[in-house]
Amino acid sequence: MEEQVMEYASGNEMAAIAVRQIGYDLMGYYPITPSTQIAENLDLMRAEGTTDLIMIAAEGEHSAAGICYGASVGGGRVFNATSANGLLYALEQFPVQSGTRYPMVMNVACRTVSGPLSIKGDHSDIMYMLNTGWLIFFAHTAQEVYDFNLIALRLAEEVRLPAIVAFDGFFTSHQKRRCYRFAKEEQVRDFIGEKREPYPFFDFEHPITVGSYMNEPDLINNRYQMHMAMEEARKKVPDLLREYGERSGREYREWEGYRHEDADTLLILLGSSFDTAQEAVDRMREEGKKVGLLTLHMLRPFPAKELYENCRHAKNILVADRQDSYGAGGGNLSLEVRAAMQKYGGTARIKSMVYGLGGKDFYVEDAIYMLEWAEAAESPDFSYYGTTPGTGEGQEQKPFFAPLTREKTRLDTENLTLNATTAMPKRLAPGHGACPGCGIPVNLNLLLRAIQSPVVLLFQTGCGMIVTTPYPRTSFKVPYLHNLFQNGAATLSGLAELCYRKQRQGEIPKGDIVFIMVSGDGGMDIGMGSALGTALRGHRLLLFEYDNGGYMNTGYQLSYSTPKGARSSTSHVGKQQYGKTFFHKDMPQIMAAANIPYVATAAESNPTDFMKKAAMAAEYAKTCGVAYLKALSACPLNWNDKPATERSVISAAVDSCFFPLYEVEEGKTRLSYDPEKTGKKIPILDWLAMMGRTKHLQKEEYSDIVEELQIEVDRRFACLKAKSEHPFL
Amino acid sequence: MEAAALPVRNQSGYYEIRLESIGGLGANLCGKMLGELGLHYLGLNSVSFSSYGSEKTGTPVKAYIRYCDMDKEIRVHSPVTQPHLLGIFHEALMTDSTILDGCRPETKIVINTEMDSREAVSTRNQSVMGTIYYVPAQRIAIETHSRINVVMLGAMAKVMGFVPLKALNEICEHALGRKYPDALAGNLEGIRRGYEEVTCGKEGTKDSEQAKEEQKKQCGEDREQGKQTQNVWGYETAPIGGINPRYGSSVISDLSPSRQGYIPVFIQERCINCGLCDSTCPDMVFQFQKGEYKGREMMVNRGLDYYHCKGCLRCVEVCPVQALVKGLEAEHPRKEWFVPNQELLRSPDYYEKAGPDGYITSESFLTEKRMEGGEV
Repeated sequence: MEEQVMEYASGNEMAAIAVRQIGYDLMGYYPITPSTQIAENLDLMRAEGTTDLIMIAAEGEHSAAGICYGASVGGGRVFNATSANGLLYALEQFPVQSGTRYPMVMNVACRTVSGPLSIKGDHSDIMYMLNTGWLIFFAHTAQEVYDFNLIALRLAEEVRLPAIVAFDGFFTSHQKRRCYRFAKEEQVRDFIGEKREPYPFFDFEHPITVGSYMNEPDLINNRYQMHMAMEEARKKVPDLLREYGERSGREYREWEGYRHEDADTLLILLGSSFDTAQEAVDRMREEGKKVGLLTLHMLRPFPAKELYENCRHAKNILVADRQDSYGAGGGNLSLEVRAAMQKYGGTARIKSMVYGLGGKDFYVEDAIYMLEWAEAAESPDFSYYGTTPGTGEGQEQKPFFAPLTREKTRLDTENLTLNATTAMPKRLAPGHGACPGCGIPVNLNLLLRAIQSPVVLLFQTGCGMIVTTPYPRTSFKVPYLHNLFQNGAATLSGLAELCYRKQRQGEIPKGDIVFIMVSGDGGMDIGMGSALGTALRGHRLLLFEYDNGGYMNTGYQLSYSTPKGARSSTSHVGKQQYGKTFFHKDMPQIMAAANIPYVATAAESNPTDFMKKAAMAAEYAKTCGVAYLKALSACPLNWNDKPATERSVISAAVDSCFFPLYEVEEGKTRLSYDPEKTGKKIPILDWLAMMGRTKHLQKEEYSDIVEELQIEVDRRFACLKAKSEHPFL
Repeated sequence: MEAAALPVRNQSGYYEIRLESIGGLGANLCGKMLGELGLHYLGLNSVSFSSYGSEKTGTPVKAYIRYCDMDKEIRVHSPVTQPHLLGIFHEALMTDSTILDGCRPETKIVINTEMDSREAVSTRNQSVMGTIYYVPAQRIAIETHSRINVVMLGAMAKVMGFVPLKALNEICEHALGRKYPDALAGNLEGIRRGYEEVTCGKEGTKDSEQAKEEQKKQCGEDREQGKQTQNVWGYETAPIGGINPRYGSSVISDLSPSRQGYIPVFIQERCINCGLCDSTCPDMVFQFQKGEYKGREMMVNRGLDYYHCKGCLRCVEVCPVQALVKGLEAEHPRKEWFVPNQELLRSPDYYEKAGPDGYITSESFLTEKRMEGGEV
């Protein structure tokens, strides 16, 4: 056995350690809870100089998968990590990766698939991968996350199929515990071996075509080759696991049992529940009950024979699934167990139970209940565990607020002053869960207090959505819809079009309702395509972006709007890295290039200007086409400054011209505020110094970064000015 | 390394700790340090994890730690329901009856509280099962330029009885010293004073039934009432698809636990009704009504609804005439300018104490950095 070192680490941390030791070339990723920490840990290692991994923060998981595919075709060792809807968003890329036979490894910290949106752990995401041609390992401990990452890569490269290492989100990804790793990188690299490319892509003397157009005589052969590769993997696994065991002292099989050899009743489950349930088995064994457990370390190839051999003696088997294949009478694991047992002539009574959805905790008592359920002759073959019927009490709750009818939201005055608009009923109820001092509700209220028509709100995923709709409560007093943030604008297009139809049919007054999408800057990264498509189609609606310059909802990873040089959890500051490496995105100009009728920027530090623009944007949205309004939005938690002083930080951003206030109305640019003219312009560093995330840029060593940013900000402002001065620009 | 001897174990063989806190006080990091302490300094196998919410400022946070002998695996992954040690990082949490769930006669409870209010806490919880210990962690943290979490760490270690101060110093030097050498001396002092200044209050009651009854009575009156009137949606009663027809229902959240001791104090005679406060308030606290000011009809600021004020003090910062000033909440127990939300058709049957939403999962490294005493 080779030298091992003890770590106190979580599954995500062990995954990052494995990636560092393997010496991957590239990671393409997009942050999604609970897998994000893997990228965060690796970025920290990069900043400290302990890995030279290329890390590419894509604008969405679909692109992340594309980046990985490209890099693996290029012959690199490539890594990705994702969860839940991120996995599903990238789904169409996975058969491309496997079908063209480029190995890589992806970690999936399993989480429940939306909607309704939940971030907690279950297995509803990973089961979508069963038909993609990827090898799938499932780790039930943080230790296995590390070990399987090494084994998966070696197997993937040997059979030329991509591989997944899946594990429970939170239970495994976040719990810190004792783990072991190889002491030295060389040991790891020696186990994995050199990467070999049968058809090197960059061989210009032997150029190859990857990604053929294939018709019916051939495609089935390509698929059969994939089947053959899976079977080859099945054959190789035992030797590979044995070799790994000899090197590490940790020997695995495709499955793992606990007191199962003589068990009459077996519980089969995946992930961390397998460990918790061992406690239940011990307690029941003390009472003389012959119960045991089984879990699988691999889902693809599916170890059907091994499973059968270890279950054949049992009388009762309960397969507990943390997901459901709705309508099939069980989750996917239970369906596959049934098929395997049938294939080899098993006689046990097999039951299925769906449990632990949305990260519902799994206690020892739950496992005891399941084992007893499995044993009981009278219990049905399929059941959900942990549901509650609810009570009817208070069903007819009286509303807290009067409905916001047209009369209620009409102001007496045309004059949009702050005082007069305090009369506008708030469209959001208080009691939402935003951090103290958060800019999102401030910006929303400034937007909505100036709009007197009925509003329909659609929020893309983000802090604004999460903090306002924690079930069973909601802050919204107006019709509200959420959709995932790569698709909000398109969804609102459909919603608005249906309303127009009803307007044409006379059911709703024409030109009456303002459709508003609210998105963070993160949503404008991953959802930029959808927003631009919507802009180009010209539906009558308003796109409102609150830009706090980061993915704050998931713990502040960099967004494309984060200022260059800013520290974030995916752009650490260290010996080898100064923070974010590229300039902030200029979304208003991108929107202006779509030639929509109205584009504007607004800031809470100029509230009257903000309200005017909101009213103008609403007018265009009602009558003309897409209006886009963007507000800079403070995030005290992650900007790392004081909640009380956020308005002055916003004001400084405006005065530094980082966030210039202007509008583009029917193609004509007009500056709303020119700090150069009023003599209020401040150097960019004055603003950066106000926030903990950019404070470090004051140091001499970062002066060239600040200068670059200053030049870029000045250049963009000069362009705006030129545009405002010339009717054709 | 000689392994520490665990004084008690549960059925599974673990010594279990639960920390109850509010985001921003560093319970998450404290839990991690306790976990690491077990494995690397006490010769125990250990596990640590937090409730899967963010450490957003003001969010309720729970952390869990399990210890057992080194040769034993820690198999149970579920939260700690019956702690041997319960650390309560903020006295205000005592108003939530669920905080004390699972306490038994042998439970040791360490509360961060000031000497002055000790009596009050003690009265309030005379029927808590277990033994209560007090430490003025907030004051010690301020005096030593350390953080509440390290003071609590010191106090809890003392109460656990099997953690030598030396081990705490070592882990502190290891975890914080290298990254933030400037903050090390203060943190070590904070740990030492926590260790030395924690005092035993009184034995809790041993009678579980009586304790439960009184606990309910004392701690969670509004919560209990709430349970009676709140509809519990389940699969038979909830609207399909997660649809929520209860518009504006977040209004029943009482966000006062988010405040960190300060409130905006309203001095109406100074107010010029400019409305800037309402434009900067993220929490819709200000109550403007049609009225008269200096002979003109206009919207007039009547006061604040403190149920939803998170104490961010944005309004104090923007008020041009100091009609809103920063005040210590403790000095204003009765706020005569407290005006309930005027848009309400009916007053909620109860307000439920809530922090900002703990639903989001992240461990912002910036927050962590603050916890660790790094620069803000």
